[in-house]
Amino acid sequence: MKKTVFSIFCIMIALAVGAVPASAKDKVVVYTSLENEEVVDYLELAKKDLPDLDIQAIRLSTGELGARMMAEKDNPQADCVWGWAVTNMAEFVPKGMLTVYRPAGWDKIPAKFKDPDGYWTASDTYEAALVVNTKVMEEKKLPMPKGWKDLLNPVYKGMLIMPNPASSGTGFLQIASLLVLMDPDYKNKPVEQNKAWDFLKELDKNMGQYIKSGSKPAKLAAAGEYAIGCSFAFVYASLKKQGFPVSLVLPEEGVGYELEANGLLKGAKNEKAAKKFLDWAIGESAMKRYATFKLGVTYPGSRTSGSAGL
Amino acid sequence: MPLNSSPSDAIERYPVSPLRMEVDRFVLPAVTLFITLLLFFFMLFPLFAILKLSFFKGGEFAVANFTLANFQKYFTTAYTVRALWHSLYVSIVTMIIVTVIIFFFAYAMTRTTIAGKGFFRNIIMMPLVAPSITQALALIYLFGRNGLITAHLIRTEWSIYGPIGIIISEVLYCLPHAYVILYTTLSAVDIRLDEAAESLGATPFKVFTRITLPSAKYGILSAAALTFNLTITDFGNPVVIGGDYNVLATEIYAQVTNLYRFDLGATISIILLVPSLMVFLFNYYISRKTFSMISGAAKPVIPPSRLLKKIGFTVFCSLISFGIILIFVIVVLGSFVKVWPYDWTLTFKHYHFPSIAGYSALWTSVWVSLVVGIVGAFITLVAAYVMETRKPLFKQFIYLLSVMPAAIPGLVMGLGYVLAFNKSYYFFYGTPWIVVINNIICNFTLGILSGISTLRNIDPSIEEASISLGGDTLRTFFKIIFPLSRVAFFQTFLYFFMRSMTTISAVIFLVSATVHLAAIEIIMLDNDGWTASANAMCTCIILIVLVVLGLLKIVSLKTGGRRTGLTAEV
Repeated sequence: MKKTVFSIFCIMIALAVGAVPASAKDKVVVYTSLENEEVVDYLELAKKDLPDLDIQAIRLSTGELGARMMAEKDNPQADCVWGWAVTNMAEFVPKGMLTVYRPAGWDKIPAKFKDPDGYWTASDTYEAALVVNTKVMEEKKLPMPKGWKDLLNPVYKGMLIMPNPASSGTGFLQIASLLVLMDPDYKNKPVEQNKAWDFLKELDKNMGQYIKSGSKPAKLAAAGEYAIGCSFAFVYASLKKQGFPVSLVLPEEGVGYELEANGLLKGAKNEKAAKKFLDWAIGESAMKRYATFKLGVTYPGSRTSGSAGL
Repeated sequence: MPLNSSPSDAIERYPVSPLRMEVDRFVLPAVTLFITLLLFFFMLFPLFAILKLSFFKGGEFAVANFTLANFQKYFTTAYTVRALWHSLYVSIVTMIIVTVIIFFFAYAMTRTTIAGKGFFRNIIMMPLVAPSITQALALIYLFGRNGLITAHLIRTEWSIYGPIGIIISEVLYCLPHAYVILYTTLSAVDIRLDEAAESLGATPFKVFTRITLPSAKYGILSAAALTFNLTITDFGNPVVIGGDYNVLATEIYAQVTNLYRFDLGATISIILLVPSLMVFLFNYYISRKTFSMISGAAKPVIPPSRLLKKIGFTVFCSLISFGIILIFVIVVLGSFVKVWPYDWTLTFKHYHFPSIAGYSALWTSVWVSLVVGIVGAFITLVAAYVMETRKPLFKQFIYLLSVMPAAIPGLVMGLGYVLAFNKSYYFFYGTPWIVVINNIICNFTLGILSGISTLRNIDPSIEEASISLGGDTLRTFFKIIFPLSRVAFFQTFLYFFMRSMTTISAVIFLVSATVHLAAIEIIMLDNDGWTASANAMCTCIILIVLVVLGLLKIVSLKTGGRRTGLTAEV
């Protein structure tokens, strides 16, 4: 009996130790802010296209990912960053977080979609948009908003939800685009004096909650928790497909968009494998797959409007 | 090996080579040193890193760098100061509610003759098998802005987000922890006192207020303290159901991950550490008193309760049990319903996790928890043995070190690990092993306490016999102590396993591209709006813990051990 117990524990320990994977493949650690459902799909393709790579990835929101990379600056845990907002990427260049790498096929990417020195290369765009729950709108007899300014209507009080710009790239994009859209004179004055802040103060009165992730406002609106989620365009398509009563509003004031880019991190432990991955990330096969989710990809000749259903 | 003994000579039945005896002299100091170093390096060192970052400019340890700027910043920013009041408010309210509920629940279990006690006892323990986010997930499905009850049954604008939601979910989460304490207290107090008072003509009300309550007061205080600590340090429930209502734990996370303010995160950690440490010390003091109240003559026979009392308590216990069951039913149901609450078709699609890790996170969690369980239970038993029966030097000091982890919030410990070990020479950083170590250290206290109480029940003469027959330290431990503490070992294993499977706060800073954990996946899925899949992951964790619980019960029954179960746990 004693032996049985002992052997059970021995087996458990052996299994536990054995569970630590020992892979012969080249490991590459990838950080990304792309949406989970995209990443799952892209990584499946990557596994097929890059059979000799063992790709280990984590998906965090734009701000969280930035904080993590900064925290790991002296001991980088990741090799490359993939699908991360260009605004943040550009901040990383002077901070010395990135290494110059021009992936294979870099020349094909138009100049406006890449860093001239080769620190980052953008692969796609995503657009700020409003996702509206039609069922909730009907039940509460709310008018359909056409753009940002309509959201100030007091009937929407507590019905709106948007991402927290500190943690979410989408939230940052929304604020940044409002600063440009609401104040034609934005270039000539300090950002504190931008007219958009007055608008945001007004908008705050209607806002039900600020939330960490950029896609969650859309999903909470879809689930009926809120009427209107300030989110981004492509998440709408997948919600619609799942059967939620949602519709998409591209703000009439103009649509803010952001590039998502890839780069090689300084101090990458698996540089060779990371470079292979970055080559793949702007290659034709990957770009075609991005186009099934995104409104725009940077690869010339790829379909620029995919299944987003616009 | 040549034996120089005659078979009749019992003393030389276990011959020990001179080398082994040499080695034996070093075993005890070596083990003591190992445990001390373990706690120094993996508990005090990370705490020190947090202190350093909050009190010294740039985290550089030098007198000239000493600064209170971080604390000044914290206390002058309205938004962050609010987190402290919020935390205290929800913790105190939760503490009061839980203590009152659990007192009457434990009273019903120990002092009345209601039917179905076994059922109630198992139900009240249920929250232990689930992560402390389950309650919030279920409550949102019921009382969220589009909740089944709020939006579809009574059609109200009111929703549960905010302090109310945090309090209700924490109450439902803390019940089993408080129950264990009050159950022990109430069943240990001599019930004949009540009987004597009653036969002397006291009214039931007078008996209750003059005898029952005062005799259980230390248990009540201790349960209250534990509830307060669990609530103020919890992260999972407030992050999901708190909405814009920030508490200290969520604020630490927000400062670190959203704003990259590690210094402020460390500062808030210190601010969180103060109340939880104070309450822990209070509890430590109280629990010493509790022992003196326990009478050896406690009598387990309960006189039959009056019918009205029985009905009242049955209804009360049923209501509480219903609340707990409801949480579990909703989470499991929510994981199968296609689009809650619009399309009630049942589906498995939420179990195709829309995340990079998916099921691999679940398996990592299982393996990590198995290792944590085995190694944790073993180390704490060894430590308890060394401290309890071999009385090393500095026993009190080592004891204090090993009960300290209970006072340190998981989130604080996790942040400390990032600050202390995120260096290229700490090879374990970024591997599952740091999670293993963190889980062992975070739950060290309970392992040690259960080890010590088990060893106190082992007759010292058995051990003496082993030693006088020539058994060395190692042999005595493995042949005598370990087999005799088998039941306690299983229980401690179970405790470590459950904690490691369900903890969120301790490991949320430690997950990485290479280490995904199931409990953290719940948070991530929910963050991205995949609530149904978050429920599905939660269901998977609950299922695995229940399976392991069942297996362990079978093993311990087969090996003739006493009852190993949730009730015997803690």
